[in-house]
Amino acid sequence: MSESTDFLYPFIEGDETDAGSLLADLATSAEAKWQTSLRLCDETVDRYESVLRTAAAAMAERFAAGGRLFVFGNGGSATDAEGVARLYTHPPSGRPLPARSLVSDLAVITALSNDVGFDKVFSRQLIAHSRPNDIAMAFSTSGNSDNLMVAYAEAAKRGLLTVGLAGIDGGRMAVDPDVTHCIVAHSQSVHRVQEAQSAATHRLWAYVQEALAPVAV
Amino acid sequence: MPTPTEVFATQDLARASLALARRFAAGGTMWCASSAWPHHAHHVAVEFVHPVIVGKRALAAVAVVPDGELAADLRGAVQSGDILLVLADADDAEAVDVLRRGTAWGTETVWLGAGTRRPPAGAADHVLWLDTDDPLAASEGFVRLYHLLWELTHVVFEHPGLLKPEPECTDEVCITCSDEGRLAEVVSVDGDEAVVRTPDGSERIDVSLIDAPGPGDLVLVHAGFAITSEVA
Repeated sequence: MSESTDFLYPFIEGDETDAGSLLADLATSAEAKWQTSLRLCDETVDRYESVLRTAAAAMAERFAAGGRLFVFGNGGSATDAEGVARLYTHPPSGRPLPARSLVSDLAVITALSNDVGFDKVFSRQLIAHSRPNDIAMAFSTSGNSDNLMVAYAEAAKRGLLTVGLAGIDGGRMAVDPDVTHCIVAHSQSVHRVQEAQSAATHRLWAYVQEALAPVAV
Repeated sequence: MPTPTEVFATQDLARASLALARRFAAGGTMWCASSAWPHHAHHVAVEFVHPVIVGKRALAAVAVVPDGELAADLRGAVQSGDILLVLADADDAEAVDVLRRGTAWGTETVWLGAGTRRPPAGAADHVLWLDTDDPLAASEGFVRLYHLLWELTHVVFEHPGLLKPEPECTDEVCITCSDEGRLAEVVSVDGDEAVVRTPDGSERIDVSLIDAPGPGDLVLVHAGFAITSEVA
């Protein structure tokens, strides 16, 4: 870059000292992203309304028969899985339901990953814990993680109800028959996908509660 | 059905991102804690330490798993120059306490929360608040907030000239220790003296002007004297 054009790019040369205009840009950007996120949340929930209802009805049946919910995912999706398990067990309203994440026990995660392989870290736990009445639910932004697909195959083999939340184009989760009900947040942004999955999961929980509520006489 | 009706100040988010970027650039670690929502603390930490976008810097962020008193969990780990990010309700006394100590510890404090009741002004350097009492809408809002915090922090990194802290403007006034009142945390007491922890490190001060403090107490230091104890 010639010296004569340096003034056009103050930030590249590290000469920028006035944070005011950056702060204004950041605030504008935050507002736009917030609105984009809200739109994707609404679109996802609307588009998958019938999947959410069907999945919720199937889940309610399993819960009513004594089934439990197993939730899992990788990275940020693992933390979301933890949050969802807690939503079911410690709901803000309605019925507490049995749910557990497969991501929190460090001894179990490291032992399975180290000894058997990371691709089996969730499937092995389903082998140990699951019963045919149970539900397996995974979160993935790509829809393609090996350890999720291996877990879904095991879950399907064992008769579990399988539900998935994926992003981008849904990946393998959206097309694999082992995943019976799949909600996809159609966005290229991992962050926006996770936000929309959060909204869809909350809607799913609400529909499960509705499905389990006693019918008014 | 919960609907997202939260309102928040984008300017607060922008200022917080600038502050975070500066602290990270200077080598600080972000400690993420939430007794109420531990999974959110973990989510924030993993966002920063393992970016979802290839090519973005991994930043030092750690989720603090509550193991008793939060202040005790943090006191040994946190260093001056770090960031303390807490997700909590406005009436969470432990959050109020820890964020106040964060000042004595030399950290940039960030409070994420939700509800029509807000923390008092000055409770943290940055208060990122969602105006909703619906727990599910709040949870969705938190994810949005810390995702944006990450995204904006990385935009600031593209402006290296702004990563240096702004120089304190002192104009024509000479700042001496007699002008300052600094928050400090008592480490040990020895008669009329105490060792206290401040953002600048350990100091030995005179505590004869106040009732005898104990380890862990917060005091205001002025010209080498503790002039008041902070009551929780």
